[in-house]
Amino acid sequence: MDLTLLLWAVANGVMVGSIYGLIALGWVLIYKCSGVLNLAMGELTLIGAYLCLTIYTFLIKIGHPLPFASALFLTLLACIVMGYLTERIFLDRLIGEPVLTVIMMTVGLMFVFRGLVGLIWSTDTRIFDPPVFSYDAFIVGGIIIERVYLWSMVAALSLWIIFYLFFKYTPWGLSMQATADDEMAALSLGISVRFVYSAAWIIAFMTAAVGGAFLGAKNGLNISVGELSLLVLPAVVLGGLNSVPGAIVGGIVIGVLQELSGFLLDPYFPGGVKDTAPYVFMVLFLLFKPYGLWGWVRIERV
Amino acid sequence: MATDPILKINNIEVKYHEVILVLKGVSIEIPDGGIVALLGANGAGKSTTLKSISGLLKHEDGAVTDGSIEFEGVRIDRKSAEEISKMGIVQVIEGRRVFEHLTVEENIKVGAHRREKGVSVKDKLDKVYHYFPRLKEKRNEVAGFVSGGEQQMTVVGRALMTNPKLMLLDEPSMGLAPMLIHEIFNIITQLHREENISILLVEQNAKLALNVAPHAYVMETGRIVMDDSSETLRENPDIKDFYLGMTDKGGRKSFRDVKHYKRRKRWLS
Repeated sequence: MDLTLLLWAVANGVMVGSIYGLIALGWVLIYKCSGVLNLAMGELTLIGAYLCLTIYTFLIKIGHPLPFASALFLTLLACIVMGYLTERIFLDRLIGEPVLTVIMMTVGLMFVFRGLVGLIWSTDTRIFDPPVFSYDAFIVGGIIIERVYLWSMVAALSLWIIFYLFFKYTPWGLSMQATADDEMAALSLGISVRFVYSAAWIIAFMTAAVGGAFLGAKNGLNISVGELSLLVLPAVVLGGLNSVPGAIVGGIVIGVLQELSGFLLDPYFPGGVKDTAPYVFMVLFLLFKPYGLWGWVRIERV
Repeated sequence: MATDPILKINNIEVKYHEVILVLKGVSIEIPDGGIVALLGANGAGKSTTLKSISGLLKHEDGAVTDGSIEFEGVRIDRKSAEEISKMGIVQVIEGRRVFEHLTVEENIKVGAHRREKGVSVKDKLDKVYHYFPRLKEKRNEVAGFVSGGEQQMTVVGRALMTNPKLMLLDEPSMGLAPMLIHEIFNIITQLHREENISILLVEQNAKLALNVAPHAYVMETGRIVMDDSSETLRENPDIKDFYLGMTDKGGRKSFRDVKHYKRRKRWLS
């Protein structure tokens, strides 16, 4: 087998996977802080991506020198508002209700958001026009690397670092970690759980928007991008539902797995191997390691 | 009591889920700068009393349905846990609830999430390490793995970071070795004296609590059944019998002779 091609598949997988890892990070945060499985993550991706595309098109029209970067930045700002409002309007009232109720709320949000996206931006495939990244690829050691992949990895990496610093060194980040660990104890210190939940939703919106924007810049944008980001599920199952580093690693592994299975198995099972492989893997993985690689099993002192 | 009380609980009634009555007619006063102990058996409602003061009750679907709680003259029984904490009340909840995955120092820093003017986090951290020198040695260890005594120190230190005027301590001695209990109570009384923090202490260890607090309340099945100075309570035959494990004559008592049900009835009528 051609080693270069194999390496190419792996490299692509890592780069696409970093986007999955980024979205998974946002997903894990909500789960960690509030115990809610957010099934609307794919739709957050869609909203962020379409918003970014709209701003991008507008900036191109007025001849802005840095259209994509600025569009992304403005989208992130909008995410703060959207994340806050979503939490405040739809989820705040459900604090203290059974978790299942809240999960059903996210299912509801999923359809509402999807409907809104269709309503506002129609269901046709839209593309970033002119393309954000030029198509002439880098060639590193014989491996062809597309620019859009490389930049998505750069974006994912920088956001990881920013979030890491946020959690490690700011009082807000510490409050979020504390709430994830023991909500009652956090409350007893006067930490505002509302703030923590809103922050989690804001960050989820942000990661989803960046992920969506890059996925959209790569393939064009339609409803299926939302389904693509459902891949966070196998990613977080692999990493352990409440591990942030696990989400990142899980995302990358799923990316690689997708590319490799497409590359190795597609000749034998033509069609959708690439799309199903992560889920088959998730099922198998759950059978043997239900907590994922780094999921919490409570610390018990001996 | 000469000075105005810092906390005044007036005849409160507490219900969970709007139907389960857990406290009825509880009244407690804590003098400014004082230590008050709250004694009682399991399920008597001591923790619920603390939670109704700190506002944590609301997060367990409980509510103060009658009576009132006043802190420095302001009614707080309708306020949220966050607002109450801002006013200067902190509860150290039962069972050494450290944030297991954070280090000891991060745990303590969480207590300083509210920024105050003029006081840096560093100063407050130094203050905590001054009272709990042991924590300074363990500062970079993961809190889930330090010893029980150190975890208890961590949660008290963490509470100290919120700059409390009133600290509600829920069974700080639970599950700790006698030596450690001694050490922790020394620090708590030191905090009380030097930082002028008023304390409401819930304890199952009645002997210890009566030594630390000059005044104590005794609870049983959701109501206050006794309220007196610690000296008087120590001499009370019922207290001796139920809480201090002694006979009327002062000797140690055999558990074979305990007939709780007979004497308990006297308080419930």
